[in-house]
Amino acid sequence: MSKFWRRFKRLVLKRKRKKEAIKLSLTDLMSMAKPNLESREKILHKLSGRELVNCFQCIKCTSGCTALKLLELKPHEIIKLFNLGFVDELASSDIIWTCATCLKCLQRCPQRASPYHVIMALRNLAVEREAKVPEGYLKAVSRILETGLAEGVQDVVSRKMEVFNRENLKLPKIAYPKESFQAAFMKAMEER
Amino acid sequence: MKVVVFWGCRILTSQFAYEMSVRETFPKLDVELVDLSETNCCGDPVKSMNDFAANYLAARILALANNTGLEHLLVPCNRCHFVISEAKNIMAKNDDVSKKVGELLKEEGLIYNPDIKIWHTIDFLHDLIGLKSIKKAVRKPLKDLKLATHVGCQIIRYSELGRVDDAENPQKLDELVNELGAKSIDYAEKLDCCGANLMHSHVDSALSLAGTKLASVQSYDVDGLVVSCPDCGLMFDFKQKDAATTAGVKLELPVVYYTQLLGLALGVEQEKIGLHLNQSPIDKLLSKVSA
Repeated sequence: MSKFWRRFKRLVLKRKRKKEAIKLSLTDLMSMAKPNLESREKILHKLSGRELVNCFQCIKCTSGCTALKLLELKPHEIIKLFNLGFVDELASSDIIWTCATCLKCLQRCPQRASPYHVIMALRNLAVEREAKVPEGYLKAVSRILETGLAEGVQDVVSRKMEVFNRENLKLPKIAYPKESFQAAFMKAMEER
Repeated sequence: MKVVVFWGCRILTSQFAYEMSVRETFPKLDVELVDLSETNCCGDPVKSMNDFAANYLAARILALANNTGLEHLLVPCNRCHFVISEAKNIMAKNDDVSKKVGELLKEEGLIYNPDIKIWHTIDFLHDLIGLKSIKKAVRKPLKDLKLATHVGCQIIRYSELGRVDDAENPQKLDELVNELGAKSIDYAEKLDCCGANLMHSHVDSALSLAGTKLASVQSYDVDGLVVSCPDCGLMFDFKQKDAATTAGVKLELPVVYYTQLLGLALGVEQEKIGLHLNQSPIDKLLSKVSA
C-alpha cells in the first residue's frame, strides 16, 4: 500500500475516533503559543510572489470577508499571526477551515498579501501533519480516488416529483478516467 | 466553431439543467461542442489538502483537451475555471511544479499544452460569439422580465490571473441578459457569495449565506435570479428550501441558468433545456415568458 493511502486511511480513522474532538479557538491556542519560524519560511517559499510580510493591517480583507459574519474568520489576523511565526497554532485551529474561497481578500489587498493563499497553505500543512480535516474534504478525495470525480452522480426529482437521471434525460454517459489515473493521482498526493 | 468542453463534477452529477441548456443552445449559435475523451475532478477540493495534486488534476484536463487538437476549452463551472486558470499560471511560473506534473502526465501518455484558451460560458458568449450574434438569434424576446444577475466569485477574482469580467463591477452577464430583451437590475448584494464552498465543512453557514442573499434579491421585486455557475445553481435553486429554513426567511424566488434563459429566447422547448428540473418556483417566470 502506498504511503499516501496509508496516511489517508489513518486520517479517516482518526477523524472517526475523535468525532467530538475538543474545539480549540485561536485564543485558546495562542495562550501557550511558540513561533515556528522554520515552517513560516517554508510556506513563504512556497508562496513566492505573494508579499506576505508587506501586510500593514489595513483590514480591507476582513471588512469584505464572506466568512466573517457567521464564522468569525478574520483574514488580517491570520496574516499577522503568520508573520509572527505562529504557524503551528494556525495549522491546528478550526478557523482555517471556515474560508469560503470567495477570493475577495486577495483581490482587495493593496499589498498583494493574499490571505486566501496563506489559508490554503495552512490547510495543506494541517493535512500533512494529520490534524483534523473536515470530513467533506476527505470524502471528496476518496471519491476522486475511486471514480476520478469529487461528486457521486445523483438522481434528481423534478418539480412534478418525477425522477430523472442522466440516462432518461438522454445525456451522454460520464467518461470516467482510465485505470492509470488512480496511480498517478496517488503519486501526486504524496508530493509535498 | 468547434470547442472542447470540460464540464466538471457538479454539472455532470446533479446540475443537469445547465448541461442540457448548454448542449441545446450552443449549436444554435454555430458552436460545435466536443466532449473530452475522459474526465476527472478539476482539483478544487484537493487544493485544500495538497496543492500539487490539485495542479496535477487541472493540468490533466488541459492535457486531455490537447488530445482533441482544438484551441478553445469551455469550462462552464466557475470553480473549475478558477482552479484550471490558476494551475496554468503556476505551471508557467514554477519550473519545479511544471516538470513534476509533466512527468506524471507522461506516465499516462498525456502532453500538457499551455496554449489552450480557457473560456467560461459568460465570456464565451459575450466576447467570442458576441452580443450582436446573440441578439440576431433571438426569436422570442423576453420582454417584461426584470431579473437580477449573480456572476459568482471565482470567475471574476483575482484580476491578476486574468478573469472573465471586472472584479468589482461585473457587467457582461447583465449585458447578455439585456440582449435577450429582459431587463437586469443593479443591486447592493450583487457580489455576495452563495457559500457553496462551505458545504464541505460548515453546512449551516453555507445555507445561511445563500438564504440571506436570496432574501435580499427577493426584496427587489424581481422575476428571477440568473446564475451561471453550477455551485451557485445548487445553492440558490436546489437548496432554496433548505436555505430558507436555515436563514429563517420565506423564499419563493425563481432561479435559472443564463443558458436556460437563452434557450427560452431562442425558442427551444422547455424540457430540452431542463426547465422541469429547477427546484425553485420558476413557473411564475415561465408564465410571464409564454404570455
